[in-house]
Amino acid sequence: MPEKENDRTIFTLLEVTKSIQKTLSERYKSSFWVKAEMNKLNMYPSSGHCYPDLVEKKDGKIIAEIMANIWKDDYQRINNNFLNVLKEPLKSGINILFCAKINYTPENGLRLRIIDIDPSYSLGNLEKEKQETINKLKLEGIYNTNKSLQLSLLPKRIAIISVQTSKGYSDFVQIIETNPWGYKLFMMLFPALLQGDRAAETIMKQLVRIKKVKDHFDAVAIIRGGGGDVGLSCYNNYELSRAIAMFPIPVITGIGHSTNETVSEMIAFKNAITPTELADFLLQKFHNYSVPVQKAQETITDKTGRLLKEENLRLFNSVRYFKSITGNLLIKSHNEIHNKYRSLLQLTGYFIQRNREQQVSLISGLKRNTHLQLSNGHQQIRQTGLIFRKDMITYLNRSKAVVDQSVFQIRRGARFAFMGFAQSIDLAKIKLFDRGVNFIRNEKREIDVIEKNIALMSPANVLRRGYSITTINGKVLQKVEGVNAGDKMVTIISDGEITSVVNNIKKTE
Amino acid sequence: MNEKPNYKEAYDELQVIVSEIEGGSISVDELSKKVKRAALLIKVCKNKLTATEEDVNNILKELESTEGL
Repeated sequence: MPEKENDRTIFTLLEVTKSIQKTLSERYKSSFWVKAEMNKLNMYPSSGHCYPDLVEKKDGKIIAEIMANIWKDDYQRINNNFLNVLKEPLKSGINILFCAKINYTPENGLRLRIIDIDPSYSLGNLEKEKQETINKLKLEGIYNTNKSLQLSLLPKRIAIISVQTSKGYSDFVQIIETNPWGYKLFMMLFPALLQGDRAAETIMKQLVRIKKVKDHFDAVAIIRGGGGDVGLSCYNNYELSRAIAMFPIPVITGIGHSTNETVSEMIAFKNAITPTELADFLLQKFHNYSVPVQKAQETITDKTGRLLKEENLRLFNSVRYFKSITGNLLIKSHNEIHNKYRSLLQLTGYFIQRNREQQVSLISGLKRNTHLQLSNGHQQIRQTGLIFRKDMITYLNRSKAVVDQSVFQIRRGARFAFMGFAQSIDLAKIKLFDRGVNFIRNEKREIDVIEKNIALMSPANVLRRGYSITTINGKVLQKVEGVNAGDKMVTIISDGEITSVVNNIKKTE
Repeated sequence: MNEKPNYKEAYDELQVIVSEIEGGSISVDELSKKVKRAALLIKVCKNKLTATEEDVNNILKELESTEGL
């Protein structure tokens, strides 16, 4: 009970809050439907309860605000309804029509307890929002701005807004990187959230970044996939859609869902339903470039080959024609030459024949002349010879006479000379004989004297005169030297020999 | 004649050559020159299909320099 103090009644907080609780529960007995904007869902995953922040705005200003709660079981049911109807989970920032009870507790104060939320109201609201975005873009005249850009003939350089771990991203990259034609694309990932409350904000942030380096890229690809059909309302966001529409290079989308196109997809340069299809779209661009190039190569090869073949054929025909013409000409010329040759031969023969006849007559004329001249010469020579002979005979006879005379004189001279000579020889002969006889006589005398002397001196005569010759050992003894007592000594005298032995030796002084 | 045509110029010029050759308006004397040129253009085109020139690091550097401001 409340205390009394100096005329003031003082309640405890619990008494007051309990009073409020009592009043409110009596006043608001039933539940009722309310429409509001759910500013924040404030879902607590650990408990599974939500504590939404509900507001009502007017001209952008909050004019009413209240806290609410959704208990776990209610939240799960409501969220499933939303996913079924809206393809969106219950999330912050949407307008909702909800059934609530006013709930007041002393501990937590005033809360609207949300029992149910009508998804169709939110859906209509989302559709309205989407329509508003479209209208605004059209009004600004930028609805077709990105579509009217020119995509590079070969969109090779792609800035990708996606999530590394998303299946759509990996599908996209794989299709492009393993394309069997060897096309090469340059891809660079700019990571962003692709669904939910923060998607629009992070995508726009990356668009701003890409814009700074847009010269390096041919297109921006927003790729999402594998996330089901929920959480796509962000792509109806006006700011995001505007950013895409105004982006300076083409934006292509492969967001991957089966619901109605979002505004972002509508205003994008190209929207593919899935990342796979988007990859095919790009590869198709490469085909569109590659095939004509390939075909050009084939056409050029083929046409050039054919052209050359035709030209070759033409040349071949020309050569053949030329050959046949020149061949004919050659044959004709050959014949002409042959004919000329033959007529020349004939003419020459004729000329030679004529020349020969002339020659013969000339030679016979010459012969006749020569003969005549020769016989003339002969006669002259004979005459000269005769004269010469006569002269020679005369001369010889004269010479003979001279010689004969000379011989006669020489003979006479010689005879005289010879006779004189013989006389002097006979004289000399007589003188020589006399002298020779005297000489021989004198010589004989002298020789007789010498002979007498020689006979006197012979050893026999000497021995006869009393001399002897003594020998020792056959040697004539002349000196006492070398003679020893006892030596056998032979003494030769005129009528014999005496043998003695040496007794004594004495040398004469 | 552009000595270093980009891939689009190469593509366009190639188409012109093809139509010229197809039209049979090219003499044999010109043909060799055209075919040589076409071979170069085809090379440029094919090269473009299968090569990349961009570098992630360069782009990141460029981004950093602007974001650092």
